[in-house]
Amino acid sequence: MINRASKFALCLLALPALVVPALCLAYLLMRGLPGLDSSFFGLSTLEQSRDTASLSNQHGIFPQIMGSVLLSALACSIAMPLALGLSLHNQLYAGRRSQSLMVHVLTTFQSIPPLVYGLCGLVVFVHLLQWGISLAAGAIVLAMIVLPVLTLNTIHALERIPTALTDSARSLGMSAGQIIWHVWRPKAWRSLLTGLFLAIARTLSETAPILFTATVFSGVIWPDSLLSPVTSLQTHIFYLAQEAVDERILAHAWSSALILVTLVVMFSVIAHFLNRHSSGNE
Amino acid sequence: MNKPYPNMQLATAHVIDKIANQPKLKTCGKARVEVNNLNLKRGGRLILNKLNLTLADNGITSIIGPSGAGKSSLLRCINGLDKDWKGKISVDGIASKHWPKGEDALRQHIGLIGQKPTVFPCSITDNVVFGLRGKKRKQASSGLIEYCLKQAALWDEVCDRLAHNAQTLSLGQQQRLCIARALAVKPAVLLLDEPTASLDPRSKNKIEASLHGLGENMPVVVVTHDLEQVRRLGGNALFMCDGMLIEQAESTTLLDTPQRLETREFFQWSTCDCPPEDE
Repeated sequence: MINRASKFALCLLALPALVVPALCLAYLLMRGLPGLDSSFFGLSTLEQSRDTASLSNQHGIFPQIMGSVLLSALACSIAMPLALGLSLHNQLYAGRRSQSLMVHVLTTFQSIPPLVYGLCGLVVFVHLLQWGISLAAGAIVLAMIVLPVLTLNTIHALERIPTALTDSARSLGMSAGQIIWHVWRPKAWRSLLTGLFLAIARTLSETAPILFTATVFSGVIWPDSLLSPVTSLQTHIFYLAQEAVDERILAHAWSSALILVTLVVMFSVIAHFLNRHSSGNE
Repeated sequence: MNKPYPNMQLATAHVIDKIANQPKLKTCGKARVEVNNLNLKRGGRLILNKLNLTLADNGITSIIGPSGAGKSSLLRCINGLDKDWKGKISVDGIASKHWPKGEDALRQHIGLIGQKPTVFPCSITDNVVFGLRGKKRKQASSGLIEYCLKQAALWDEVCDRLAHNAQTLSLGQQQRLCIARALAVKPAVLLLDEPTASLDPRSKNKIEASLHGLGENMPVVVVTHDLEQVRRLGGNALFMCDGMLIEQAESTTLLDTPQRLETREFFQWSTCDCPPEDE
């Protein structure tokens, strides 16, 4: 009887964690789905951003999707090699104290609000280095945000490789490079990909840092250079939701949000699938 | 089908005969390992305490002693896996810390096989040549692979499935594969840390027979808790306790007439089946 009661109580406690996101998703689908048509994914941009009447008919979100993907891809291409370097150094050469210190520092960096990174990026890249609002500034700021996540994930992936395997390879006289390539890579690549996809999902969901450093509302289809501004899905939704006085604009924001959530969920699901597969292999 | 043997001695003798008829393994040559004043501290505890010993340039040397005596740590220090020791380890008169081509080359020169068989998730062939570098790995001849597997007394059992994943082998076979893998890089010394712990008697006797064959060409050092195994392996035996070398003699002499009190006490406990009395 007590067991059943405690089980029921636990279910009640767990219910909001399942129901609330499900309701949000259902509402998002309900509001976002009607606005999805072929013109919604179009290339046309809105030069008169305040022209609310023409917005829902003419404005496609293709540039925003591409901007988000570009920012995310650049950020991860900067962060991934750094994360790999840091974690390999940590595993191969750092002492136990340094290893533990690095994990603490990375965990602390991970908990810093992204807005702070955005402000730092604004001061350093936009003003001090005079890059202006640019793709490069946004990508570096996003890379800084995902670097701790990626590094910690890589460290954990390498730690999960049995020490006996590494010791066996070392005792054969294999060099660090050979151990990384022949022993660690085959064991850890799935976990590394999992981390990468989670990082992509994270960069796609960050808004505040790129609002300060990388994005404009409209007028850009594809950035001319690394120092040009971009448009992104996240900030696009933010601008629309903030400035909407028309129901059609809000509908556009909901549809954009649905696309963004779909992208984030897609990368998270791939990450989850890879993680499950790699756990199964170990 | 495998031939049944009435006892372990006959089985061992049979495998020794088989190995004796095989061509000898070309190694880097015999090496003399000297350990002087070796100290190793871990977590504030002295694991090895001013240890001095010299390993014979060929034949088998068994290292026995209670758990925590520092036997495995000694092997890891000689192989270079542990580096934070103080003192001097020299191989062929060259200090291991100043090994000409670096510590990787030293570890290749001194093979180490752990207690738990660790095979890599690839084929048996790839496992044998795993320690070879670059072109050597790609160009490894089937002759070398056969040679090493024969020396490890594994060839007969795996010759028809060399492309199979090594993880499908039994534990005993995996341990012999580890020996073959260590031999492929042509070490001058072979160190084995409890190579037959948790193996069945049949696998044990095959590994022992393989070690007999290897001991004729190079120094083979075996850490073990099995006193009967020390007797079967022959050669020299060392008794270690609390990170120090207590006694060293020819194995049967050490087992039959131990000189030191610590050794006698250890042998008493090792041969006694009754549980220790409560204090």
